[in-house]
Amino acid sequence: MNNKIPNFVKTNQFGLLILVIVFICIFSFSTDGFTSRFNIYALSRVVALDIMIGLAMMVVILTGGLNLSLGALGVSAAMFGGWCMESMGIPISITIILVLAFGSFLGWINGFVTVRTGVHSFIVTLATMSIYFGFMTLLTEAEAFRKLPEAFTDFGSLKLFNKYISPLLIISVLTCFVLYYIFKYTDIGRKLIAAGANPDAAELSGISVDRMFIYCHMLSGFLAALAGIMLTARIGAAIPSMAGHLGFDWLLPAFLAPVLGGTLLSGGKVTVFGTMLGAILVTLINNGLYLIDVGEFWVRFFLGIILLGAVLLDRAREYFTVKNSIVS
Amino acid sequence: MSALLKKDWFGLGLVLIFGSILISLFKPAFISPFNLYVLMLSVSLMLVVAMSQMIIIAIGQMNLSVGAIGGLVAISFTGLMEVYSMSILPAVLIGLLIGLACGFINGYITVKTGISAFIITLATLYIFKGMNLGITEAQPFYEIPEAVKFFGNAKIFGPIPYLVIIPIIITVLMWILMNRTSLGRYMLAYGNNVQSSELIGISSTKIVIYAHVISGLLAAIGGMLVVCRLQLGTPNIGDSWLLPSFAAPVIGGAILAGGKVDVIATAFGVILVSIISQALVIFKIDPFFVQIFLGFMILLAVFINRYREYREERRTKVFSDE
Repeated sequence: MNNKIPNFVKTNQFGLLILVIVFICIFSFSTDGFTSRFNIYALSRVVALDIMIGLAMMVVILTGGLNLSLGALGVSAAMFGGWCMESMGIPISITIILVLAFGSFLGWINGFVTVRTGVHSFIVTLATMSIYFGFMTLLTEAEAFRKLPEAFTDFGSLKLFNKYISPLLIISVLTCFVLYYIFKYTDIGRKLIAAGANPDAAELSGISVDRMFIYCHMLSGFLAALAGIMLTARIGAAIPSMAGHLGFDWLLPAFLAPVLGGTLLSGGKVTVFGTMLGAILVTLINNGLYLIDVGEFWVRFFLGIILLGAVLLDRAREYFTVKNSIVS
Repeated sequence: MSALLKKDWFGLGLVLIFGSILISLFKPAFISPFNLYVLMLSVSLMLVVAMSQMIIIAIGQMNLSVGAIGGLVAISFTGLMEVYSMSILPAVLIGLLIGLACGFINGYITVKTGISAFIITLATLYIFKGMNLGITEAQPFYEIPEAVKFFGNAKIFGPIPYLVIIPIIITVLMWILMNRTSLGRYMLAYGNNVQSSELIGISSTKIVIYAHVISGLLAAIGGMLVVCRLQLGTPNIGDSWLLPSFAAPVIGGAILAGGKVDVIATAFGVILVSIISQALVIFKIDPFFVQIFLGFMILLAVFINRYREYREERRTKVFSDE
């Protein structure tokens, strides 16, 4: 591997970047209002959330697992936050800390049960999804918290950079950099990746794989709770149905972003910026489909097709890079 | 007797019998004919859905699109009869064909690309559901032929509805498939260990596609049975199938890594879930608790399975260790 340029060209991120640029070009020429200030601002608010959800899923995929309870967990944390602020009158900053701790705790439950039973996290989080969402609906009686402090809701509708960008996007991008730093340069981050890549080898080299997996689930809960707070700030209220029934509306973006970004489902690989680009691509396509006016009901269909196309392309890319590397 | 004790369904059967007796002692309404009728209806529908998921679990995969296939078939079935005034039999056949095609797509892509069935069926979940919403624009079909309505409502005798016939036939067929045919054995072998099953000459392509096609067919039947039951075809049929479809096989001792499923235990799992949901209603407990309960049941089943595995491991160790 002498020259670095072809290597970067071969990566998933490069392909994604090209796709993002292509789609931006297509949509800005073929539709009115794609580049309008209003649309870009709206996009930045949506993409911020999709990035965060994608990251929350990515850190669990790292372990070779999944987190189906992501949406239910995020909404439960957000509702807890709404209760803290509205019913208990707890100041915003403390509420945010409590919510993040609460999210991490729910994530810990996922991780603990997964590790202790040795069952695939799919089935564990399927169960906790329904438990979290059920308790949340029961405790809130499916009522929303709409009288949140103004300082909090104002933040969600704040416009920065000549009114183009939402501050929520800045939080997401900062989170990306922090995660990148953790996974790339810290001891714990490297241990997390090692545990995901080869649990047996990691265990033999003195890493407690179980603990690492629990950390991954906690991190996932933390990020999902953060996404929940961001969504609450964006809507201006904490609503039980804001991520759909059982939080299912979050599931497609959650998987799309990391999978498009090149995270391996078998675990052991994270691509923080790939996930970010993946989330941007999903939001762009989603937004573009609405602007092109394919009809609200067909958007889901196309998103499914895109996910399918993306994984097939990724498989083709893998196939060709392996072939190339054998030849050279 | 000891062979009986080892069966997955034995413990579940005991729980079912004692649970039912206990509930009916507290609330005699539980064994009223009407309640039994409602119970049997819910069991029959979920039985088909659970079998549809179970066969995919047998080969060590999962099918997220079961509900989406059921929904797509349900609206196609009713749409064909209402909009194109087709008669029942061809509509049923086309419904089955759609289920078969959906299953084939899932299986073919999964096995040919080697990508996890989870991701493939997540994508097809959105594709099938998107087609469903695109076709119906979220509007239900109401015009159902009388014969279909009759099939969904009528009783054979006492509290036994006609609707149970098909699920019982399916359960029997599934039992024969998994226990008495080479195809079923090959599926379990494949689910247990892909490499070694290939080495003994089992074709992965065939096994995976067959399993997904059967799953698609069963989901289609499930969708059409719900239409009979509801007397209309709404686009949201199948939306709530995901959790119960996994709950019953897991409670019945299925191992999600594949290679081990039990048809009878899965059927008992369905009955157990239905009885508990029903009991919670009779005891006037908040319906949201049913969901929480289902979640806890899955976790409990997972822990029990794990414990049994652990005991099994220890027992074999005593004999095999030096």
